[in-house]
Amino acid sequence: MILRIQKMIFDFPKNEVAGGGFRPWNPAARWIVFAAWGLIVLAAGCGGREPPGAADGGRLRVVATTTVVADLVRQVGGDRVTVDCLMAPGIDPHSYKPTPRDADRLAGADLVVASGLHLEGKLTDLLERLGRSRPVVLVGDSLPEADLITAGGGLFDPHVWFDARLWSHGVAPVAEALATADPAHASAHRDRAAAYAARLVSLDERLRTQIATIPEGRRVLVTAHDAFRYFGRAYGIEVVGVQGTSTESEAGLADINRLVDLVVSRGIPAVFIETSVSDRSVAALREGATARGHDVGVGGTLYSDSLGGPGSGAETLEAALEANTSAIVEALADRSAPRAEDAP
Amino acid sequence: MTSAAGILSYNTVVVAVGVAAVGFAAGVVGSLCVLRKRALAGDAAAHATLVGVACAFLATGRRDLATLLAGALVAACAGLGMLVIVRRFTRTRDDAATALVIGVSFGLGITLVSGLPAWGYANSAGLEQFLLGHTAALTARDAWLLGAVAIVAVAAVAAILKEATLVAFDAAFAAATGWPVSGIDYAIVGLVALMVVAGLPAVGAVLVTALVVIPPVAARFWTDRVGTMVVLSGLIGLAAAAVGVAVSATRPGLATGPLVVIAAAAAFAFSFLCAPHRGWIARRAEAARGLTVRRGDSDGETGR
Repeated sequence: MILRIQKMIFDFPKNEVAGGGFRPWNPAARWIVFAAWGLIVLAAGCGGREPPGAADGGRLRVVATTTVVADLVRQVGGDRVTVDCLMAPGIDPHSYKPTPRDADRLAGADLVVASGLHLEGKLTDLLERLGRSRPVVLVGDSLPEADLITAGGGLFDPHVWFDARLWSHGVAPVAEALATADPAHASAHRDRAAAYAARLVSLDERLRTQIATIPEGRRVLVTAHDAFRYFGRAYGIEVVGVQGTSTESEAGLADINRLVDLVVSRGIPAVFIETSVSDRSVAALREGATARGHDVGVGGTLYSDSLGGPGSGAETLEAALEANTSAIVEALADRSAPRAEDAP
Repeated sequence: MTSAAGILSYNTVVVAVGVAAVGFAAGVVGSLCVLRKRALAGDAAAHATLVGVACAFLATGRRDLATLLAGALVAACAGLGMLVIVRRFTRTRDDAATALVIGVSFGLGITLVSGLPAWGYANSAGLEQFLLGHTAALTARDAWLLGAVAIVAVAAVAAILKEATLVAFDAAFAAATGWPVSGIDYAIVGLVALMVVAGLPAVGAVLVTALVVIPPVAARFWTDRVGTMVVLSGLIGLAAAAVGVAVSATRPGLATGPLVVIAAAAAFAFSFLCAPHRGWIARRAEAARGLTVRRGDSDGETGR
């Protein structure tokens, strides 16, 4: 009996030849295939969020891709806009893939605002197609090209919002798009935009003064991926990422070794974790440094490609930049850096 | 900074030890699997692991390697179970059943892993690394875990080697003389699932079958003795791991996992060309001398 079953299980092709005939849709096979199919459909269906209600009192429906641009639109549009943000807090925009529901949300928008400069790598084609039928603002692409940092391959580093002054140049294009779509309140949009841009410029000054309090030799920011180059350029701190500019690339062994050398030789007291990137490379880096007798702390979690969720205290770009800067100053300025426990 | 110091740095040693242990054990386990003609079962198990990684994260909320790999092992066994069920209860052919399991489980796994961030599991970043592996980020604890799994797997192969050889070469005779053929088959496939899971952090779900299949196929060129082949296959896996890790430590931007697989493939190409008797050059030379060329003799044929 066991032998028979074994033969049926493991020697199936022979059985089939013996039995002749080929029934592709035997009930059991059908059941298995449909059950698996059903699971996939169910899993895919659970994901989406309901689009916002249509009863919006004449307000513009703006779909923003990342939390950062959603905040920008809220600051400029105020109570005249309903902002629907595609990516929830903590999501990595480099690898975000649009769902069919996202396409519906984008299609129902009066205005689409994206970060641009290929930050939303997998949305680029979709945004381009949408641009033919409705206004699409790519904030990063509207900035003066001379101020952008190149990232190889003819592309620019997309993480422009970390330079508050540079980001303030992206406020006006959004205000103009809102004014065009909502001409009755055009001046209100422009006023809010001017006030917000001014706030960003004064924030820029504050951040620079704060970073300047770190001893010069230790102004090195080591993070999981290379999101902070604009921040580093604007506020005078050297930035080193374990991964490349995009989270899609993988850190090779040589990259980790190089970082361990850097951290040990410069006596850097802390490295940083980002909300939307895996922390395994950072863990390996710390272990390598410890093995060479240099304990590296974790300088806290930085907001990088995503702002904080509700209740985090970093729901706006201004708050997130302030939070990042004080975390960096605290970890690097103090010689005995507070050493957080291993990341979860 | 990179070449000399990099090769001997702490992180390099940790990664090398972990990957070499997995490479050796995968080669050893792979020998039985290839001789028993179950190479694609490993692929089915590998593609099912992603579901397990995602489910383990969902169930525990933790991202440490041991938890995720435990989930992957459960899923790999479930994938193999599904393969057995499809073959047992439907008249699906062996190859089609394997393709079905690979497709369905991989689709489900990708759906979960890519969907988790969008469904609000923001701290799920990094699960997708199990797709292509993320060797460079191995820590000492991970390496110990992989080493322990490798030792268990090699010990298990040593324990069942004689029986497994008999089943691989003459299943009918083994059954007739009272050996639990299906039990041994399940043990082989179970060990393959274990090695596939252990190989995940190194080379990822897509490439991990290569670690189980390429070293034994390369080793087969050099010997007709099972014991020799098992050891040789393990050594080829170990060497491929060492070469892959060393190369990726010399230049920035080289991912370790794929280099290990490429190194194993180079070992295969060398064996194919240069092995005595079975190698291409040797066979051409023999043919030129007018000798009979016998290929594939005693190559794990199941008796019929």
